[in-house]
Amino acid sequence: MISAENLTKQFIVRGVPLVAVNNLSFRVVSGEVYGLLGPNGAGKTTTLRMIMGLLEPDSGYVEIGGVRSTNKSNDIRKQLGLISTNDGVYPWLTVREMLMYFADLYAVEPNAASERLEDLSNLLDIRSFIDQRCSTLSTGQKQRVTLARGLMHDPPVMLLDEPTRGLDVVGSQAIFRFIDLLKQRGKVVLLSTHRLDEAERVCDRFGLLHRGNLQFEGSLEQLRLATGKQHLVDMFIAFMNAPQNQNVPTSPPNELSTEA
Amino acid sequence: MNEYLSNGRLWRLCQKELRESLRDRRTLFTLILMPILVYPLLSMALQRLVISSVSKGTTESEYVLGVLDEETADRVRELILEAQHVQAEGFVSPITVIRTTDPKSSEDAKNDSEPSESVDSVQDEIAKFQLVKADQESLASALRDGSVDLFVTKLTIESIKLERGSAFHHEIQAEFRQSDFRSEAAMSGFRRITQILNDYQAERIRGKIDRKLPVAMSFNARGVIQPADLSNSIAGVIPLVLILMTITGAVYPAIDLTAGERERGTMEALIASPAPRFALLLSKYVAVVTVAVLTALANLFATWMTLSFGGLGQALLGKSGFSIWTLFQILPLLVIFATFFSAILLALCSFARSFKEAQAYLIPVMLLSLGPGLVTLMPNVQFTTLLGIVPLLNILMLSRDIMLGQSSLVPAFAAVFSTIIYACATLVVASRLFGAEAATSGSQESWSELFGRPKKRQHLPDIGELAIYLAILFPVFFVASNLGGMFAIKGGWALFFNAVILFLLFMIFPLVYAWYRRLNISTTFRLTFGVGTGEPTFKRAGRCLGYIVGVILLSFGLWMVAFEAYLLFESWSLASQLTEADKEKLKADFLAVPFWVVLMTAAVSPAIAEEFFFRGFVLSAFRSKLSIFRSVLFSSLLFGLFHVIAGSVLSIEKFLPTIILGIAIGFIAIRTGSLWPGILLHALHNGLIFSMSRYTEQDLAKWFGDDTQHIPIAWLCGGGLAMAVGVAVVFLSSQRRRIHEDSI
Repeated sequence: MISAENLTKQFIVRGVPLVAVNNLSFRVVSGEVYGLLGPNGAGKTTTLRMIMGLLEPDSGYVEIGGVRSTNKSNDIRKQLGLISTNDGVYPWLTVREMLMYFADLYAVEPNAASERLEDLSNLLDIRSFIDQRCSTLSTGQKQRVTLARGLMHDPPVMLLDEPTRGLDVVGSQAIFRFIDLLKQRGKVVLLSTHRLDEAERVCDRFGLLHRGNLQFEGSLEQLRLATGKQHLVDMFIAFMNAPQNQNVPTSPPNELSTEA
Repeated sequence: MNEYLSNGRLWRLCQKELRESLRDRRTLFTLILMPILVYPLLSMALQRLVISSVSKGTTESEYVLGVLDEETADRVRELILEAQHVQAEGFVSPITVIRTTDPKSSEDAKNDSEPSESVDSVQDEIAKFQLVKADQESLASALRDGSVDLFVTKLTIESIKLERGSAFHHEIQAEFRQSDFRSEAAMSGFRRITQILNDYQAERIRGKIDRKLPVAMSFNARGVIQPADLSNSIAGVIPLVLILMTITGAVYPAIDLTAGERERGTMEALIASPAPRFALLLSKYVAVVTVAVLTALANLFATWMTLSFGGLGQALLGKSGFSIWTLFQILPLLVIFATFFSAILLALCSFARSFKEAQAYLIPVMLLSLGPGLVTLMPNVQFTTLLGIVPLLNILMLSRDIMLGQSSLVPAFAAVFSTIIYACATLVVASRLFGAEAATSGSQESWSELFGRPKKRQHLPDIGELAIYLAILFPVFFVASNLGGMFAIKGGWALFFNAVILFLLFMIFPLVYAWYRRLNISTTFRLTFGVGTGEPTFKRAGRCLGYIVGVILLSFGLWMVAFEAYLLFESWSLASQLTEADKEKLKADFLAVPFWVVLMTAAVSPAIAEEFFFRGFVLSAFRSKLSIFRSVLFSSLLFGLFHVIAGSVLSIEKFLPTIILGIAIGFIAIRTGSLWPGILLHALHNGLIFSMSRYTEQDLAKWFGDDTQHIPIAWLCGGGLAMAVGVAVVFLSSQRRRIHEDSI
C-alpha cells in the first residue's frame, strides 16, 4: 500500500519559490489502479520522485508497506517498479542481458532472476527475441522489454509515469493490458498521466492534481455525481476554471474509498 | 548496501558496462583503428624532425673546436690542412669513400692562419672547424651549453721509427656532447680527418705513394652526457602522445556510460533502483579504465613498433632506444594515469545532461591537459620532488624520465601515490554527481551534500569524505615535509616544525572538519577511555591499568620488529638513500638536541596527532562501510605509506614496521573503543626507537653480545612473548562487548 501524508515540496526557481506539491495526501491499496491526473507541471513527477525517495519532501511523508520512503532506504526501492515515458533500452545488450542486469540492480539472486525472466518472457511475449540485441528491436518490442524490466524484481507497487506518451493505439493497448495484468496480480498501481480519456478506462480511483494541489479524489461515479459532468476532460476543465485553492467538496481526500 | 557490493554482483554490473562499451563500434574504432592510422603519421613526422635536426647539425658552415693552447691549435690546423692536401691530390681512403674533391678550396685554406678563421676544406667532405682557445673549465662548460661542438682535451706528439723513415704519432683526445647531432657530427668530422691521414700514412708505408707525411694518429673521443638536449624534449613527446591517445580511448565510453544513460532513457530506471550509486559508478569506472588501458596498450605497442622498427628509437632516445623494459615501465604509469583521468572524465560526464553537453565539458579539459604536456616538452624543466604532486604533469614527467632512463625515486613515489589518491577523490565526487540531475532538482544538492554543512548530526565520516580529505592532505603534507629541507631548518627546530605540521594536518584540521560536517567527535575520534561508565571505580581503574601494562609490553616487541626491519631493508640497500657522511651528520645534529625535546617532538607529538587521524578519522571512515579487518588493514596501509615520505628521501624501511604497528593499534582501538591506549603505545614505540639511536654501534654490540647489530634470538623471543602477553592483557582488560563498535 502507498500512503502519502501531507506531502509538500517547494523549489526555488531563479530566486522565486515555487510550490510544486502542496499538502498532498492520498492512499492506494493492493489491486487498485489509482490515477494521479493533471496537466503538465501539476506536480505529478515531483510526487512520484518523493514516493521513490529520490526527492526529500519539505514536510509530510510517504509510507510504502508501512515503511517511510524519505530515508532513501533501499528496502523501499525494492518494493517499487517504475515505468516511465522516456524509458529506453541498452542498444548493445541483448534483451536477456539487460533484464538480468536490472535483476542484479534489485539484488535478485541469479537463479530467481532466470525463473522470473522465463515467466515474464511468456507473459509479455518477448521469448522470440530474447537473445537479440536491443538495437534490432521494433518500437513495440522495446516497449515490452521496458515493461518486463519494471517487473523483473516482482515489486508489489508499480509506478507508471505517463506510460502512453508518444505511443500509438497499439502501443497504448499494450499498456492497458499490462495494467490489467498488474491489477490481476494484486499490485498497487499508481498511474500518473495527463491523458484523461485513458485514465477513465483503466483507473479505479483518481486524484486530480492542479498546481500542486489535490483538487479532487474519488471514483468516476463520485466525480460524475459531484460535477454533473460525464467525462473527466469536462470535469477537469471545470476545475481549472474554478477559483484557486477552492476544492470541490465531494469526497474528503484522506478518506480511503471502498467502492473501488 | 553490502548485498550490492558483493564481488559477484559487482562483477556482473561491470560486465554489463564492459559489454556495452566493447560492443560499441565507436569504442572499437578509437581502440584499434586510431593507433594504426596515427602512428605511421607520427613516425613520418618524427622522422622529418630528426632529419631536419641532423641536417641542421651537419650542414651549418663550421663547427666550433675548442683547444687549450696555441700549440694545439697549430697542430690541429696543420692536420686539417694535411687532410685537405691529401684529398686534393685525389687520394681515396679505403675506408672513407670520397666522392668529389675541390682543389680551389684547399688553396684558400693555405692562406688561413688566424685561429678564429675557418679552415676551408673539400666541400661536403672534410668538415670545417672554427678554432677557439680558452682554459679547461670554460671550454668544458662551453661544450655543455653548445657554444663549442668539440673540445680537444689533449694532443701529444711523439716520434716513432718506421722501416722507411720516421713518423710522428699524434695522440688526440676530445670530448663531445652525446646525443647532440651537431656535436656528434663535429666529432665524426674530426675523426674522418684523422682517418684519412692514417690511411694515407699506411699507403705511404706500403710505398705506393711517394710523399713525406710524418703523421700517424690515434683519436679518442669521449661523449659527455647532456642533461637537457633534443632527446629530452622528444622523449617528452612520446608520453604526451600516449597519454592523449589514452584519453581519446576513454572519452567515448565515459560519455556513453553516463550522459549516454540519460539520452537512452535508462538513467531514471537506474537511479530508481536500490543499487547504491557508488556501485553503479564503480562498474562504469571499471569499464572506462579497461577501455582506456586497452587503448593505452594498443598505442604503447604501436609506439614501440614505430620506434623499434623505424630505427627512430635510437635516434631519439640514445643507444638503448625504446626497449621492452622501458615499455614495461611505461605501461603501469599509463594504467595509473588511466585510473586518474577516467575518474575525471566520469565526474565531468556525470555532470552533463546530454552527449553534447558532455563533449562541451571535455574539450576544455583535453586542451588544459595539453598545458602540462607542453611543459614536459621544454628541455630544461627537471622533474623535481615538488612537481611529483602536480596531477597529470607528474605522470608525464615521470614517463619522460623513464624513457630517458633518469627517473628518481622520491618524485616517482609522489607521482604514483598522489595520482591514486586524486583518482579516488574524483571518483567519489563523480559518484555523487552521477544521476543527481535525474534524481533531484539539480546537481547543487549533491555538491552541498559533499561539501556543505549538513543539517543533521552524523555519526561517522564517510569513505568518500576521507578520499577527498586525503586528496587535499597528501599534497599539503608532501610540500610541508619538504619545507624543512628547503629552508634549511635543522636540529631541534626541524623536529619542532615537523611536530607542528603533524598537529595541524593530522589533528587540528580533521577536528575542524569533523565539527564543520557535524560529525560526532567522540565516536569519530574514539575519545572514550574504553571503560564502562556504569562500572565501579576499581573495575575502571583495573581496565586502565590493564591497557597501560598491555601496551608497554607490546611496545617492546614492536620496537624489535621495527629495528630488525630496518636492518633487513638496509641489507637490501633499500633504506633511505643517504650517504654514510650524511648519516653521521644527521646523527650529530640529532644528538645535539636535548633528549626531552626529541621525545616531545618525535615521540609524543606524532603519537597524539597521527593517532587522532589514522585510528580516529581514517579508521572510523573505513568502519562506516567496511568490516573490522579491512578497515584496520586499509588504515594501516595509509599509515605506512605516509611514513615512507620523509622530506626529500623515501624511508622504504619504515613501510612494513609501520603497517604492523598500525594493525596492532588499529585492533586495540577497535577492541577498547578508545584512542588513548594507541597513543601510549605509539609514543612508547617511537620513544624506544629514538632512545636506541642515541647509542653507538659499539654500545649495541656490547648489549647484544655480538657485532652483527642484530637483536639476539633470546631477546627476540622475549619480545615475542611480551607482545603475546601484551595483546592478551589488553584483550582481557577490555569489555567483552566492543563498546565503541556497538554504538555504531
